[in-house]
Amino acid sequence: MLEVKRVSKRYDGGRGVREIDFSMQRGEIVGFLGPNGAGKTTTMRMITGYLYPTEGTVTVDGLSVHEEARKARSKIGYLPETPPLYPDLTVEAYLKFVAKLRGVPAREQKLRTAEMVARLGLGGRERQSIRHLSKGYKQRLGLAQAIIHKPDLLVLDEPTSGLDPSQIIEIRSLIRELGENHTVLLSTHILQEVGALCDRLLIINRGELVMDGAPDEIGARMENRFAVTLEVYGQRERIESVLGGWAGSRGITAEIRGVPEPKGQTSEMEPLESEQSKNQQSDNERTLAGNGPDAAAASHEPLAQTEPFVETEPVAAPPQSLDLFASSSEAVRALLTADGQEDFRLELFRLLAEADLPILELHKENPTLEDVFLKLTTEDRADGLVDKDGLGTDGGVRVETGTGSGEERA
Amino acid sequence: MNRILAISGKELRLYFLTPTSYFAFAIYILMSSFMFYVDFVTYQPSILDYRLILSDMLFMLLIVIPILTMRLISEEFRQGTDELLLTSPASVTEVVLGKYLASLGVLTMLLVCNLAYPAIMSLFGDLNLMTLWLSVLGVFLMGASMMAIGLFASSLSQHQMVSAVAGFVLLLMFWLAGSMTSQSEKLSAWIEPFSLPDRISNLTKGVVNGPDVIFYVSLAALFVVLSIQVIERKRWR
Repeated sequence: MLEVKRVSKRYDGGRGVREIDFSMQRGEIVGFLGPNGAGKTTTMRMITGYLYPTEGTVTVDGLSVHEEARKARSKIGYLPETPPLYPDLTVEAYLKFVAKLRGVPAREQKLRTAEMVARLGLGGRERQSIRHLSKGYKQRLGLAQAIIHKPDLLVLDEPTSGLDPSQIIEIRSLIRELGENHTVLLSTHILQEVGALCDRLLIINRGELVMDGAPDEIGARMENRFAVTLEVYGQRERIESVLGGWAGSRGITAEIRGVPEPKGQTSEMEPLESEQSKNQQSDNERTLAGNGPDAAAASHEPLAQTEPFVETEPVAAPPQSLDLFASSSEAVRALLTADGQEDFRLELFRLLAEADLPILELHKENPTLEDVFLKLTTEDRADGLVDKDGLGTDGGVRVETGTGSGEERA
Repeated sequence: MNRILAISGKELRLYFLTPTSYFAFAIYILMSSFMFYVDFVTYQPSILDYRLILSDMLFMLLIVIPILTMRLISEEFRQGTDELLLTSPASVTEVVLGKYLASLGVLTMLLVCNLAYPAIMSLFGDLNLMTLWLSVLGVFLMGASMMAIGLFASSLSQHQMVSAVAGFVLLLMFWLAGSMTSQSEKLSAWIEPFSLPDRISNLTKGVVNGPDVIFYVSLAALFVVLSIQVIERKRWR
């Protein structure tokens, strides 16, 4: 459908984008993510044919956007960052103009205009001049002009920026609807949007593509570790000894987080590790909110106080009968982390089942999009410093970023 | 062709929706009717000749045309609507031609307004229709080349005022080309042929001189092509 082959755009001072390389299948919704000034808009402008790349080619259905411009561009709908509207025209006149410009057959123009008005909820405003529309309506009209000619590929540059929450929800559901029969490439810097909308994610950073993959698989590729959060019901000491023993023998880091203890007992000198994991958990709860039933469960859980517990010596656990109503029993949360991608959940289940400790919750931890995004984009600051020293403005000296970039270019 | 018409249709519509063009028309009509009054009514005995008032009309074009062309391309850049035009199936040539066509439409309207004066004159006697229509043709050709220069000036900046001033300066240079270089004979021989108002004199005398017509048409073509190039160039940067 869309093929972007080693596309570069150079500006003075080494800015611009370098060797962007990806392709999109029909019917995909791809999120294009990156910090401000990373080159999202430049890339999108090259895809839509607004800018010519210094190097590389962009093809849509095998047609070059720059050489066979007329044919290729009639397959693309584009909503720039600021919707390209003429404030003096009325909504209807504007849509008619775009329809004519985009080569909609004369017979269909009226029909298409009416269809767009109805579909984007612009009814009753056809004769209003665009100047007097609210921001949300302008954005809708911008979308209308992008889809009026029924393009195969839809390129949206920050379609939800500057809208209020209800408008964002509307636009998102519209994009999802459009994604059913169009291919959509949308840029954003709102991370939830990607999770909510996209099948695939591209992260661009300082002009280079550093990550390409599905939102949920990206985390796994970023970090080579397997982490599980666990909630077990039982006596704390027993859980600690059972889990600690097993973890020690398997080379897994176990971190037991107590159940809600009286507040204010937080130790002053909290170890770094627990700090990190706490952040991680809170991040997790934030991004997962609304992503499924387990997310709801996670967000209902009060943020447990953390107490790192790393046991190295295996302790034989004396078999004890479990009494669910014993006063000494409580729910204990633990975070288990292992290097590598080996799934130890089965083993864990059996272990705890044998020890008669019921698992209340077992959840595989994925690094959140925020983590991934921050990791990919902060690495690059060091890179920026190198550039500032004048060592390599053309990218001659580059700190190799994340595992992703290597994979992408392979 | 459909796209050219779509764009010129939009431009014409915008001409009638923006106050600047009404302002320009108002100035034009006010000043030209004032001059008509001076030339035809107060100057006695009145002479029934369109050419008598023509030179003043032409001078008015020098002021009005930059005002009319300044927004043509500048505004697209400022509003970001160039992204719509340049990513549409229309080529830059079509976009610029569409805009130029619209400006010719506006020029025709100015000329129609101007025809009111010979119409008034004809009430008092017979006009030489041959020289009248050839003068109108001459004004149209000259106006067309001036519109192209204004269009080019508009492509240079995204600020309308800058475009207007640039257009005015460019037009003034072509305007004064004939009179500026009186010192050096050799220099004036080179520069004088580029003078805008000098080229019209043959047409107003009822003589269709090929080089004059070609001069206006090629000047217009040159600046239309230059505008296209300026816009194309922005895509490479």
